[in-house]
Amino acid sequence: MPVKLLAFAQTRDLLGFHERAIDCAPGESPRAILARLAPTLDPAALRVAVDGEYADWDAPIGTASEIALIPPVSGG
Amino acid sequence: METHIAFTHAPIVLPLLALPSREVGACVEFSGIVRETENDRALAGLHYEAYESMARIQLARIFAELHAAHPCAAVTFIHRLGWVPVGEASLFVRVLAAHRGEALRFLAEALDRMKADVPIWKRAPRPSSW
Repeated sequence: MPVKLLAFAQTRDLLGFHERAIDCAPGESPRAILARLAPTLDPAALRVAVDGEYADWDAPIGTASEIALIPPVSGG
Repeated sequence: METHIAFTHAPIVLPLLALPSREVGACVEFSGIVRETENDRALAGLHYEAYESMARIQLARIFAELHAAHPCAAVTFIHRLGWVPVGEASLFVRVLAAHRGEALRFLAEALDRMKADVPIWKRAPRPSSW
């Protein structure tokens, strides 16, 4: 299942990309996907959003089309 | 409540004040300005980025929840993206309400929640030594 993985700010710097198409299974969790693609990134330092909503790192992604890695926000 | 959310790469131009009804008795505005120092470091400006589609969803939800607690007539939110030099506004928020209490509380809580949950980032430029 194709999924778009998005990275922002310092997480984009660490990964070296802003957007990447990845192949995931509906039963995979964001934590498992991150461990597979970027094992050096610590999920405890990030939040994850699935299809534009904050999500649980351990919940299966189901039919999601977009996963975003959200470092601490700092708008304003 | 009327809700206007915008992101712009251009300098923020304050929108003309348009009253949604003659019951509006309070207009509260906030501009966030880029300061010269951040964490004791002198800066020429800051770079802003957003996960815009999610930010819009989050902001609309926050404003709707705040409206339930502090009923207001309208909120306008404009956030700058890209490079923002020192002295220019990175953020503008205007809240219209019947009374100042609701408008002030709405504004203060909206700013707090934006800084906690809305996917927008500011970053200082990297020193050349990095």
